[in-house]
Amino acid sequence: MKSLTRWTAILSLAVVAGLAAGCAKKAAETPPTPPPAQPQETPPTPPPTPPPPPPAPPTPEPEHVSLEFEPAFFDFDSFTLRDDARTALDHDARMLRDNGSTHVTIEGHCDERGTVEYNQALGEKRAQAARDYLVAAGIDASRIQIISYGKERPFADGHDESAWQQNRRAHFVTR
Amino acid sequence: MRRKALATAILLALPALALGQSPTDVTIKTTKGGLRTRIHCEWLEPKGDKAAHTMSVTAEEVLANDLENSAVFTLTRAWVPGQQPFDIQATVGGTWAVSGNTVKLTGEVRDVPARRPLLVREYRGSTAEWRSLVHAFADDAVRLFTGEPGVAQTRIAFISGQGKAKELYVMDFDGARAHALTADQSIALSPAWSPEGSLILFTSYRGGSGPQVFVIASAGGRPYLVSGRQGLNTTPSYSPDGREIVCTLSQDGNPEIYVLDARGGSPRRLTDSRSIDTSPCWSPTGREIAFTSDRAGTPQVYVMDHEGGNLRRLDYDVEYTDSPAWSPKGDRIAFVARTGSGFDIYTCRPNGADTRLVVSGGSNENPHWSPDGRHLVFASNRDSVPGLYVTDLDDRPPRRLDLGGLRAQSPAWSPRPPGAGPAVNLNDEEKRGGTR
Repeated sequence: MKSLTRWTAILSLAVVAGLAAGCAKKAAETPPTPPPAQPQETPPTPPPTPPPPPPAPPTPEPEHVSLEFEPAFFDFDSFTLRDDARTALDHDARMLRDNGSTHVTIEGHCDERGTVEYNQALGEKRAQAARDYLVAAGIDASRIQIISYGKERPFADGHDESAWQQNRRAHFVTR
Repeated sequence: MRRKALATAILLALPALALGQSPTDVTIKTTKGGLRTRIHCEWLEPKGDKAAHTMSVTAEEVLANDLENSAVFTLTRAWVPGQQPFDIQATVGGTWAVSGNTVKLTGEVRDVPARRPLLVREYRGSTAEWRSLVHAFADDAVRLFTGEPGVAQTRIAFISGQGKAKELYVMDFDGARAHALTADQSIALSPAWSPEGSLILFTSYRGGSGPQVFVIASAGGRPYLVSGRQGLNTTPSYSPDGREIVCTLSQDGNPEIYVLDARGGSPRRLTDSRSIDTSPCWSPTGREIAFTSDRAGTPQVYVMDHEGGNLRRLDYDVEYTDSPAWSPKGDRIAFVARTGSGFDIYTCRPNGADTRLVVSGGSNENPHWSPDGRHLVFASNRDSVPGLYVTDLDDRPPRRLDLGGLRAQSPAWSPRPPGAGPAVNLNDEEKRGGTR
């Protein structure tokens, strides 16, 4: 009885060890293997379907892809446009010029510091600053709406400067 | 009677005052500390079935909390066998009779040194509304000693968020009976009561085009749009006479303070600066308005008259201040001051003198006065989980309101309800003053 339990113990140890080894092997082996497997498996099926659409997409697609507006970021408790914000807005102005039918909403956002109410006003000033810059760059004001979310819709949830910087922005949404 | 109670209160307070003036107590001065009247809270003798028994125990707890949290009393509760508290001014107790769906609370307050009843009063209501009876009795007990009812029958509006949505809620002053007034799945913010308590103004994104001002019945119902002008429509607040609303609008391009009529019409602009002006609040006379402006570089609280003239900065002791709240008696303004990691709460006189730190530790926001001016409710993360707290403006630590796990912010204290609730008076004023 004792020897039997000892044997089962040894056996189970061996099994566990084997499994562990197997797992280790798999873990070591898997990274290289899946990448080729997935691409190999997936391409065969999609290609047959895409061919028909291509003629149409080429024109609208580049427009959509290129419509990635860059947010303007701000300093704490400030609605002054920094150099990087101006660069981003120059890009956004070019985009609006190249896509004459596009309308945007600029959302003003703030980090979590400061009161709810003050940040609503600060978000409004940030969105206004971005809009005014675009209008000065020749964009028709009627194509731009603004809305302040204050600190109510943060992009990053952290409580440090990197999260706060992400949340102090004028953010573009196309309409 | 009142003269006697006052004399005793002063006598009792003398040693407390002496203790309160310790030289180490420098930063946090107490506003009304040390003047609490010592009373004994007896049981509410149950009459009726077993349910009446259980209910009476809960009612006793609520009554004791009301009295202790009035900031007027300090309580003893259990008698030490064979020994009575010797220094109490009064006992509070009575009977709790349940029959069917109705409760009859017979509340009694007895003067202990004089061995006379000060108040015997019946409060009747449905079992569903039993808390209201206890609160009405507690408010009457406070009135006996201060000449002014307590705030146990008041409510607090606040904002609670689930996920991305924030809804408007209302609860009793002690945190009980919290319930949502909106179900918009949008963002509700900045509630403010009408002077008689029937309506609540708030800011909401429910319209889809940005923050707009809405009004809703405090008893529940559908929100109505008050101001949906272009840009910001935020931080609404009724004037003390209920005829006007002060708020922040950016319809002219910049966030400025405006006064609207009670329906949201005929806007009148009070401020004109290129900076942010927001968070206005009325003085209780309606003659002045305190608000936040960053015209000097950082947010600061300013005071102006209700026409926009006579502008002055409130306080020069603190660098970054916001969220002004004028006390109901007009003697002080509460506000927040930014620290490294959050906000502390201060009060000062309307002329900026006598600045006192009231609450610190963690971030403490949106202070709002109780209608008797004895308490401030505020939002805080001082215990790491954001919630609502009440300070009695004395040396006791702020108490957290138990909201059953609801996340809460932006509290607004209601005015007192009109009338004294469902009470039926058995004793008239003359009988109450029987010791005279």
